[in-house]
Amino acid sequence: MKFGAGAGFRITVTVFGLLFLGLFFLYPVLRVFSASFLDSSGAQLTLHNYAKVLSSAFYLDSMVNSLWIGVLATVATTLVAAPMAFALARLPLAGKTALMALSILPLVLPSFVGAYALLLLFGRAGIVTSGLHALGIPFGSIYGTPGIVLVYVLTLYPFVLLPALAGFKAVDVSVEEASQNLGASRWRSLRTVTVPIVMPAILSGALLVFIDTLENFGVPFVLAEDMPILAVEAYKLFVGETDTNPGSAGVLGVLLVASTAAVVMIQRRYLGRRRFATGARRSPPLIPLSRGFRALATAYCWTLVLASLVPFFAVIVISFLEFRGPVLHWHVSLDNYVELFERSLRPLQNTLFLSTLAALGAALLGVPIGYVVTRARTRITALLDIVATMPFAVAGTVLGIGMIITFNSGWLVLTGGWFILVLAYVVRKVPFSVRTSSAILHQIDPSLEEASINLGVSPAMTFLRLTVPLMLGGIVGGMVLTWVSAASELSSTVLLYSGQWQTLTVVMFQALESTGAGLAAATASLLIFFTVVPIALIYRLLRRYEMSLL
Amino acid sequence: MTAVAIEGVSRAFGAVQAVAAISLDIRDGEFFTLLGPSGCGKTTLLRMIAGFCELDCGVIRFGDKRIDTLAAHRRNTGMVFQNYAIFPNLNVGANVAYGLRARKVATARIAERVRSALKLVHLEDYEARWPHQLSGGQLQRVAIARALVIEPEVLLLDEPLSNLDAQLRVEMRGEIRQLQQSLGITAIYVTHDQEEALAISDRIAVMRAGRLEQVGTPDSIYRNSATPFVAQFMGITNLLEGKVLGHEGAHLVVEAGATRFRIESVAIAPGEAITFSLRPEALRVLGAGEAPPPDWGVIEAQVARAEFLGTLTRIEAHLPDATMLRIALLDQTIETPAAGQTLSLCYDPRRVSVPERS
Ligand SMILES: Nc1ncnc2c1ncn2[C@@H]1O[C@H](COP(=O)(O)OP(=O)(O)OP(=O)(O)O)[C@@H](O)[C@H]1O
Ligand SMILES: [Mg+2]
Repeated sequence: MKFGAGAGFRITVTVFGLLFLGLFFLYPVLRVFSASFLDSSGAQLTLHNYAKVLSSAFYLDSMVNSLWIGVLATVATTLVAAPMAFALARLPLAGKTALMALSILPLVLPSFVGAYALLLLFGRAGIVTSGLHALGIPFGSIYGTPGIVLVYVLTLYPFVLLPALAGFKAVDVSVEEASQNLGASRWRSLRTVTVPIVMPAILSGALLVFIDTLENFGVPFVLAEDMPILAVEAYKLFVGETDTNPGSAGVLGVLLVASTAAVVMIQRRYLGRRRFATGARRSPPLIPLSRGFRALATAYCWTLVLASLVPFFAVIVISFLEFRGPVLHWHVSLDNYVELFERSLRPLQNTLFLSTLAALGAALLGVPIGYVVTRARTRITALLDIVATMPFAVAGTVLGIGMIITFNSGWLVLTGGWFILVLAYVVRKVPFSVRTSSAILHQIDPSLEEASINLGVSPAMTFLRLTVPLMLGGIVGGMVLTWVSAASELSSTVLLYSGQWQTLTVVMFQALESTGAGLAAATASLLIFFTVVPIALIYRLLRRYEMSLL
Repeated sequence: MTAVAIEGVSRAFGAVQAVAAISLDIRDGEFFTLLGPSGCGKTTLLRMIAGFCELDCGVIRFGDKRIDTLAAHRRNTGMVFQNYAIFPNLNVGANVAYGLRARKVATARIAERVRSALKLVHLEDYEARWPHQLSGGQLQRVAIARALVIEPEVLLLDEPLSNLDAQLRVEMRGEIRQLQQSLGITAIYVTHDQEEALAISDRIAVMRAGRLEQVGTPDSIYRNSATPFVAQFMGITNLLEGKVLGHEGAHLVVEAGATRFRIESVAIAPGEAITFSLRPEALRVLGAGEAPPPDWGVIEAQVARAEFLGTLTRIEAHLPDATMLRIALLDQTIETPAAGQTLSLCYDPRRVSVPERS
């Protein structure tokens, strides 16, 4: 076999990437799969676990519930977000810049905190609920499907909004004009030309929503109550209040991974056959609207954006109020924060420490991989690309279980410290890091690197001295986003943390089971603070990359 | 001393044979141009020399040194890219210094060499400027300075002028040629513009679909095109098909378009078919009663259309059997001929070339 220019660098990155992901991602996930086929002694191959789980109405329900909620949330999110994308792209709205800025926040605010906020406000003992009851107004339940779907719609709609917005902006207006020139009305042109062109972008966003709902652990954990959900039941089976059951947990994990993998495959087949980019040089012009319609469209967008942010805002307000036990008193106080910090500063320190290492690790691993899979297209880098994208479809719960099974004993013991948490975060965030660096690279002309090599700088040094500085803005932006999402990671953290390595999310998780509402609100506010501030700081950077980092 | 020897080099991309068994000997200090239509493999061949494209087979040498097995950054070629590829994060001085830094040249020497390289391309005062503050032509000069400052063994240029406007292209190509000659460096230049190739090259290789059609000086390629493809690619020509009738003195008489042509003797027997090329500008109009120079051929054609272009008048005329004949008249003091008029034309038989059939 022959190797081309820069083969040494390419091969090093590919080999290291495959080894790392093989050891810390594929192997643990494989162990979950194999656990699902082993009996309780762990020695005998058996289908008993599958028989047991699939014959249990409870676990079958968990599967059905997960998929049903996923479908509902995906459809609802798409129906809500696609019109907003169109409005932002093509209609004259009031406060458009602010709308755009605010509409990316839900993407980085932890959905788990959003669910928790909803609980604080509208839960059984929630502030709004109690207030309404005191006034004698009955209030329905937000537990179960409605609450979960609502939280998903409000926190995940940017997944559809951002690609659809980019799609609507990229439509070449001349195809619409051609359609109208051929006699179609404006509405008909929109329906038969514009929307089909943007459809692939909308669907790829919808796919992200669906996968996120399937693997989300925090939201159902907060709001599902007795309703079984795959990701939560897998966790419960594995942690096991009476005894742990890795076999059955493995089965649920396999079902979870199989569902997401199936969706990804269906979507790939659908999108593989459709490519409608029209490559407009400039954005299509705004469609003039009457004052009434304009007000309506503006109200729609603002309602959605505000509704998605109000719960978070409410949590921050609540965190500054006084609680006596579970009972809220309307006094402004810092008691909650005092209590939080008096208990221990460790969770905050842990969150900062772990997310920082995770962001660094994901960048160190993901940027070179992104570079290699973008610039050198061979069969082996295509494999690397696939492997580095797969963590995206594997729920944090499944990865966490796999890491415990794999690294609890044997030749490599990693459980019980900070390192395994960082590893899990790095693995989970690598697809994001790879994707963003590849997106940035597409904006950098490859001949720049060739010019550098031609002038005598080796490919590895060219990457370090030329490519990385050129990518720096994007890399930093991507790292901040990784940092933020690692700080609010819950699903693998609750499995992998131990002893003093509690994070802020774990503190909230535990507060849910006790009654420390004030403490939880303060913790949640801290988390929100550490999410919003970094995002605000890099907002200009995000605009420069047209949000492609998200 | 850097001659470039290319021996049996090939490269396929899937089913496309981009470069097919090409062998070339480029002399030391030569300005050598790869010319051909889009997609014929010029860029691929150039990138093989630079080390950005693997060889399926074959060998490339600089002098006695085999270089196709060297990594791209060890080949010491200076490449000028079509889109300039100026590093946007470095200013002009740092762009030019980039290759010197890579070679660990002493800092003081770097400053000196950067300055003289920029002087060479008339950008003395631009060292501190940023790339986005420069025009296309200036960027191109920076690219050339950056490639030259490392004192490469071979200068490689891939359509360096194609992003410039017409006037600047002419100006820059003159400068490039002058620079190359004063430095005595071997240069390999890629273009699809035949005029550009003719204007600056010592020798030209015409490529077609990954193969060499002809290698030679601009003169010989234009006047004695080896194949009909080259004859047509090098500029408008009359490619006429006919039959050899016999000899007449030192000349061969050929019938084509129901007209008798005289051409220089070639080894084709009477009765056989022949294709020959007669450039439009080789034809001259004979005034009434004017005698042609001795030994020249004379033919008649009827004007179908005439286009007055200022320095030039282009005429499309018909031979008796309606075969089209193109004529280019360099500002002759006659009036533009009218359609339907019959012209008497003469030509020097030495201007007729007989490309091989391929
Ligand atoms: N990386 C590649 N992958 C696949 N095919 C390629 C690649 N590079 C070149 N080709 C193909 O090889 C052939 C020669 O390409 P090349 O770029 O050398 O042409 P060129 O002569 O430089 O053309 P142009 O004048 O348009 O630049 C073309 O058919 C092209 O499509
Ligand atoms: Mg080319």
